Amino acid sequence: MLRAIVLHSNDNVATLIDTGRAAEPVQLTGEASNKIELRVDVPFGHKCAIRPIGKGAEVLKYGQVIGRATLDIRPGDHVHVQNVEALRGRGDIEEGR
Amino acid sequence: MQTFIGYERADGSVGTRNVVAIASVMDNSNPVARAVAAAVSGTVLLPGLYMRGQLGRDREITLNVMAGLCLNPNVAGVVVIGLEPITTGELTARIAPSGKPVQFVNVQPAGGTINAIAEGTRMAARMVREVSKIRSREFPISKLRVGVECGGSDTTSGLSSNPAVGIVADRIVAAGGQVIISETSEFFGAEHLFAQRAKDAETKKRFLHEIAALEKEIVDQGIDLRGSNPSQDNIRGGLTTIEEKALGAMAKAGKSPLVGVLSYGEAPKAPGLHFMAAPAPAVENLTALAAAGCQMVVFSTGVGNPIGHPVSTIIKVTGNRNTAETFADNIDYEVTGILERNERIEDAGTRLFEYVLSVASGELTSSEVLDVRETIISRFGTSM
Repeated sequence: MLRAIVLHSNDNVATLIDTGRAAEPVQLTGEASNKIELRVDVPFGHKCAIRPIGKGAEVLKYGQVIGRATLDIRPGDHVHVQNVEALRGRGDIEEGR
Repeated sequence: MQTFIGYERADGSVGTRNVVAIASVMDNSNPVARAVAAAVSGTVLLPGLYMRGQLGRDREITLNVMAGLCLNPNVAGVVVIGLEPITTGELTARIAPSGKPVQFVNVQPAGGTINAIAEGTRMAARMVREVSKIRSREFPISKLRVGVECGGSDTTSGLSSNPAVGIVADRIVAAGGQVIISETSEFFGAEHLFAQRAKDAETKKRFLHEIAALEKEIVDQGIDLRGSNPSQDNIRGGLTTIEEKALGAMAKAGKSPLVGVLSYGEAPKAPGLHFMAAPAPAVENLTALAAAGCQMVVFSTGVGNPIGHPVSTIIKVTGNRNTAETFADNIDYEVTGILERNERIEDAGTRLFEYVLSVASGELTSSEVLDVRETIISRFGTSM
């Protein structure tokens, strides 16, 4: 079965260490032990959501904030630059200032 | 007690390699330096850029960093190639106090390119034969100064190779050696955790100041860092934001306390873990670490970064099984067992540490044998 690592109990994403295909189940390891089903293809090393993440909510990995959701994200979704933005080093937005 | 086999220098430092540097003072003396380095084996080429037209702090940094590369313990002697005596003298004056042999050729008084190449080649040939008489012997790990860096990172870096490098960093610090972590922008989002490890309030303040100052510069310029960091290959490897990259990158520094904050290319004076404020791109960062006197840099990579440095020996480590296979020509050590076979990070790091000591004692790395090496001194101002 596909494997994905959860690094902290508060995290809402897991990192796949296999190449994920839509509709395949993923065994979570590390700080979680349940299974989730992928909604889309997720490449090796990329992240999938393990909980719903509302638009504007913090994305958590290592138990830390790695960015903010720019769209509503559902468990099993691919979590990456298309639905998450960095909050640091942002001279282009008012709140970066 | 664990040891390595190295070459003692007059200033008390110990090289893990024994090369003669052919150092060019400025861009227009590079062609002569290149010809000399190509003619004499046992040399490494240190080309310069700019110098003429540089002013103030920018010029000081360029001179100090080129001198730092020449002062690196891996360099047994230096042949400086310049255009005219005054500027060349400024560089040699910064190297000579170490007691290391330094000779120089200037293209103008030598009577042009051909004469300068001939003169420089004779000097380099004699110096290589001279320094080959230095016998290597055993030294304690406290004589090692090692940089930790990552490049071509992906999500496996933070999960496997960086924590394994962190074990190596902790072993070196525990034995009384020095470790430098750098890449200022790659602390954005992780600095609050790293700052907690500062040995005192002053060190913590200085570290946080360096991170904040760089971010302020980015924000003041209205730049969106996402245009360059994470890079396109980082993103392909699954890294989404600079915060995610930083949280993984920090693991390279192990768990030791932060004892000092260094400026660009500055050599640490005390034992222990240091942070150096320096640009993150690999060649610039490796140059800064080499100028600070690191004999080696343990370099973690996810999607694969091939680059080495002429002076400091670069050790490429990956925890990504795909990269270990498809990029094998440029990988020195793999720790893929962490993700593939549940190998303990502690065990993988211990294996890596043994390998690092073997490289310190003379085992060659991929970037050395393939001569995949580059050096570049960062600019902090404009030419006039």
